[in-house]
Amino acid sequence: MGVKARSVGGGHGDSTVTGVTGVTPDGDPVLAARLTVPTVPGTFVRRDRLVEQLTDGAHSPLTLVNGPAGAGKTLLVADWITACAPGAFAWLTVEPQDSAPGVFWSYVLHAFRRHGVALPDSIGSPARPGEVDHSLLARLAAWLNERDGRVTLVLDEFDRVAGSAAVADEVQFVLRHAGDGLRLVIISRTEPLLPLYRYRAAGELVDIRADDLAFRTEETAALVDRHGLPLSAEAARMLTERTEGWAAGLRLCALAAQRADDPESFLKDFEAGHSTVADFLLGEVLRAHPAETQDLLLRTSILEKTHPDLANALTGRDDAEPVLEELQRTNAFVEPIGRSWYRLHSLFAEILRVHLRVRHPGLEPELHRTAAEWLSRAGLLDEALRHAADAGDWEFAAAELVDHLAIGRLLTGLAAERLDVLFAGMAPEASGPAPDLVRAARELAHHDVDRGFAYLRRAEENLPGGDTDDAAAVRLTCAVLRVLAARVAGSADLAETAARDAAEAEHALPDDRLERSPELTALMLTDLGSAQLWAGRFDAARATLSAAVAADQGLSTAFARHEALGRLALIDFLHGRPGQAEAHARAAIAEAEQSGLPAADRTGMAQLVLAAVAIDRADLVPAQGHLDQVAATSAAARDPVVAVELAILRSRMLVAKGDSRAALVALGPVARVPSAEPSPWVSDRIAMATSSAHLADGDPKAAVKVFEEQPPHCAESVAAEARARVAAGDGERALRILDDLPEPGDRGPVIDVWVLLARAQAVDALGDSVAAESLLPRALAAARPHHLRRPFLEAGPWLRRLLLERPVLAREHAWLTGALAPRPAAPRHREESVGPPPEPLSTREQDVLERLAQLMSTEEIAADLHLSVNTVKTHLKGIYRKLAASRRGEAVRRARELGLL
Amino acid sequence: MRYEIRVDGLMSEELTTAFPELDSFVVPHQTVLYGQVDDEAHLYDLLIRFQSLGLHIAEFRRLPE
Repeated sequence: MGVKARSVGGGHGDSTVTGVTGVTPDGDPVLAARLTVPTVPGTFVRRDRLVEQLTDGAHSPLTLVNGPAGAGKTLLVADWITACAPGAFAWLTVEPQDSAPGVFWSYVLHAFRRHGVALPDSIGSPARPGEVDHSLLARLAAWLNERDGRVTLVLDEFDRVAGSAAVADEVQFVLRHAGDGLRLVIISRTEPLLPLYRYRAAGELVDIRADDLAFRTEETAALVDRHGLPLSAEAARMLTERTEGWAAGLRLCALAAQRADDPESFLKDFEAGHSTVADFLLGEVLRAHPAETQDLLLRTSILEKTHPDLANALTGRDDAEPVLEELQRTNAFVEPIGRSWYRLHSLFAEILRVHLRVRHPGLEPELHRTAAEWLSRAGLLDEALRHAADAGDWEFAAAELVDHLAIGRLLTGLAAERLDVLFAGMAPEASGPAPDLVRAARELAHHDVDRGFAYLRRAEENLPGGDTDDAAAVRLTCAVLRVLAARVAGSADLAETAARDAAEAEHALPDDRLERSPELTALMLTDLGSAQLWAGRFDAARATLSAAVAADQGLSTAFARHEALGRLALIDFLHGRPGQAEAHARAAIAEAEQSGLPAADRTGMAQLVLAAVAIDRADLVPAQGHLDQVAATSAAARDPVVAVELAILRSRMLVAKGDSRAALVALGPVARVPSAEPSPWVSDRIAMATSSAHLADGDPKAAVKVFEEQPPHCAESVAAEARARVAAGDGERALRILDDLPEPGDRGPVIDVWVLLARAQAVDALGDSVAAESLLPRALAAARPHHLRRPFLEAGPWLRRLLLERPVLAREHAWLTGALAPRPAAPRHREESVGPPPEPLSTREQDVLERLAQLMSTEEIAADLHLSVNTVKTHLKGIYRKLAASRRGEAVRRARELGLL
Repeated sequence: MRYEIRVDGLMSEELTTAFPELDSFVVPHQTVLYGQVDDEAHLYDLLIRFQSLGLHIAEFRRLPE
């Protein structure tokens, strides 16, 4: 059973404090602040020379505002965009976690929509944090390109994602392809990783740099004047020189002078001094405030954003509201970002943290812990976890994740990578069920099943009893992870037991708590349904998977829906209902496309089913296309159902193309698929494919032997055994096993066709051509609605002979006769074939083959595998023989074609 | 690798604690910080720390071993 890349996103945009409504892409409640153009303070000085540069750039695709911290970049652009509104625009303040492209682009899309740029839903949204589907970017760029007029997109603090070449490449891609539809304004401390020389050479870049941003003397005078401190031209010149026109320095200077007893002499002293500007001035401004204010600023410097109640929690006092209001009123340090939240200027926060560590050594972790508790109570889980991690309090962090029923967010969604990285730092000493559950979830997400199980067992031993909500949350989390583990182990019994425990724990929890984590139930149902499917409990699997599809329609459950629909398609196919199978498969693909799942993260199941149906219709070209798409998904390597079915369908393709030897070799990989508990229908499918390849190869004895070793479970494989028996000359035995088949219950047309044709072939072989003739129209009628050609093509020469003798039988079936006319490669007969019968590679031969593909020499392979050179040569000969190759290159190429590498 | 970094202005003692891995002394108009830099990642981290504290780097050079 496979675990796959759990995808698709979202958590709960829980936001009781900020009041942000709607689900934000990764549950970040301060989203609103990041999408809002910062407020320009009353003391701001508009500088026309810079505004002109920005306005003149209206026809350039790229504007760069580059300068050090506190140079006044953000306010410049904020003022320009507010006052000189350049038409449609969007604003995004970038954060470090946005270096994951999926997260970055989902915020960009949010920013557009928040600012009234009506992107159509068809553009989609990224489902994985780590990447974005390239077609989404292409759709976005094309839509912008076709739009009338430019949209201005401002990316503030872009330096925070400066390390991500992927984001830079994608930004460049969208900018290039959006044509005249997009103007990008990048505000950054460092140069972005874009090909700036190209824009510069084409005259397409507006470049505003530190030198431009620096205040001129007359601008300094204007700024200081705004603070009520008239300045002589000479004093302004000196101050500009001392601060090098640095905006933050000037602002601090004005604030400090304002509060000094004698502003003029303060300025003089400052000009004459040699201290570093920001540190010195900040100290001065700080000292001018009452002790309570200083204490509040120092303690809240550990936060990116603060709220009066949160600040009170950190200071242990209750005066935060008036203090913050006063700081805002005097334009010192803090700016309001709406809904009672404030943001400290990052430069000041940085320096304040240094002071905090000096004045209160050891206080920082305690503050982080207090902040985590407050944020958690406020329902801001993401922020709470970050601070719990900073406090090094891993037991608290893990308990928070579990109590919020958010373990699913570690497995699926946009927050998954961030949470995974966060908990990767978890101290090994952290003990208790919650840390072990988090460890188990991480191991299972990383496909390390054994370690996942070990942590799960330890967590189970320490499960809390009692009927508190938190105890139930721990039990539910444990049960959900056990279902996932059982799925990986291929055990439907274990999965069903765990699912019952999960249901029990759910009953003990209030509904609203469950409703906030719809992905948890959806994941559990998909895992349970997959385990039931593996065990062949089709009815149960169908019910469970349908429930997973119906559960919740949000983005956080999209991957679960995609996977469940794919598995429902497989169940339909296995029951011989190609129409329903195709409908489910297409729904699975539509779900993935709508939610923006990148191709590599899709399960591949839907494409497999489409390939299987196409093969049954003998539409080999589209079938090959679907198979190639499956091979490109990561599930092809990890999910045993996908891996086995992919090998089987490749083999069936080769049989259809008349290459029966290759078809046998292509089945080699199925032996290497890890499976804890065997699956009855999977072994049936392997046996059918193997036997059919032997038959095509003209070796009916081998075809029969397959079923002697592996007695069939289902009607379709009984029909396959009957065909093998007839070919081996035992028509009576064939008829007997067909007679023993139970009444067709839940049997679709495909299976009916195979069974009818097998019976017709058996009676024909026994000499009763009249009976065979009467069975054929029934098979044709059942096959016609779905154009099932393959069973007739594989039925052998007797069918052609019959249709030739009685053309009336096929008169109504032009859909089939066309395919029958150009005879595919006839089955080869034993006598004709050269060399020994084809057989799969041995494990050792496979080892040698893999090294061969890495261009290792015979000697290197021998050394690597601890074998003698002669033994390797023997294996090489075996490989050449089985792959009908005469050289290394040919063998490797052939092996690739057959999916052995 | 040992490096010497010269910053414009006199850093307060408090501010130098932001660079616990470096020693420092002051010269007229500048603060000189020096010490062992582990690797390139550390080097870039230092640059970012200077920038985020609003410090202006006048000179950054590797010392002979």
